[in-house]
Amino acid sequence: MRRLAGMFGAALLFAVAAIALIDRLGRSWESRVAVEGHSMDPTLLDGDWLLVDPDAHRRRAPKVGELVVARDPRVTQRMLVKRVVAIDGDGRLTLAGDHAAHAADGTRIGTVESAAILGRPWFRYWPLDRFGPIG
Amino acid sequence: MLSRVLRALSPRSTAHAHCDIPCGVYDPQQARIEAESCYKIIQKYHESKDDLFRARCVLVKEERAELTKHHIDVMWHDYFKPEHVEKFPDLHDVCWKTAKQASMVKRSLDIEEAQKLLDLIDKIDHMWRETGGPKATRLQAAA
Repeated sequence: MRRLAGMFGAALLFAVAAIALIDRLGRSWESRVAVEGHSMDPTLLDGDWLLVDPDAHRRRAPKVGELVVARDPRVTQRMLVKRVVAIDGDGRLTLAGDHAAHAADGTRIGTVESAAILGRPWFRYWPLDRFGPIG
Repeated sequence: MLSRVLRALSPRSTAHAHCDIPCGVYDPQQARIEAESCYKIIQKYHESKDDLFRARCVLVKEERAELTKHHIDVMWHDYFKPEHVEKFPDLHDVCWKTAKQASMVKRSLDIEEAQKLLDLIDKIDHMWRETGGPKATRLQAAA
């Protein structure tokens, strides 16, 4: 009986995890983006298609070092994909590209508030030869 | 078939990863000098009876007006930041009107239109000075 309860518990946990994953996939699929530009080379290349989790920062605050999709503070209809390189005491984030020549991006973009962060790109689904999680 | 599948899979939005190499040097005088050229060229156009000279005036004025618009756009898109808009709520409106006025000067030979452009650039200059000005965005000449 106890064994049966254990199996039931495991199955329930598995089902919850599966539903959470499917939900995350669905939400990320709705927020998928195409990368345009070279400032994130070699992590992300021009033309990559990414799944973006729009709820990542509802669960926790953005962290230094992670990739984010953010509203461009200069042209708010535009989305940027960049890496968080610093977070100041007021929670404002400095974003920059990975490409060595563009390391100073943040000084041009300025800092962005955490509300401008739209999600975390976490999976590249195209091109197929680089299909997989990104970090 | 493959192209239809790809179209269905392709994202609807673009995330920009463009290179922004910041030089950080900005000054509305760049726009003003080009706009002053437009003003002077319009004056010279009206003073001249030479058709060839007048044709060249029109050509050069159009080039200068286009450059004015470019320099206004650089101020608007690259220099001004959200906190500047908080300080000057009409910032977008002024920049937009100035860019529009540069287009007007491009197609007009009316000196009044060139003067309006100069006046609008001076409004941008004022906002630039109040948000940092030459100390923040120009290299200082050696004393």
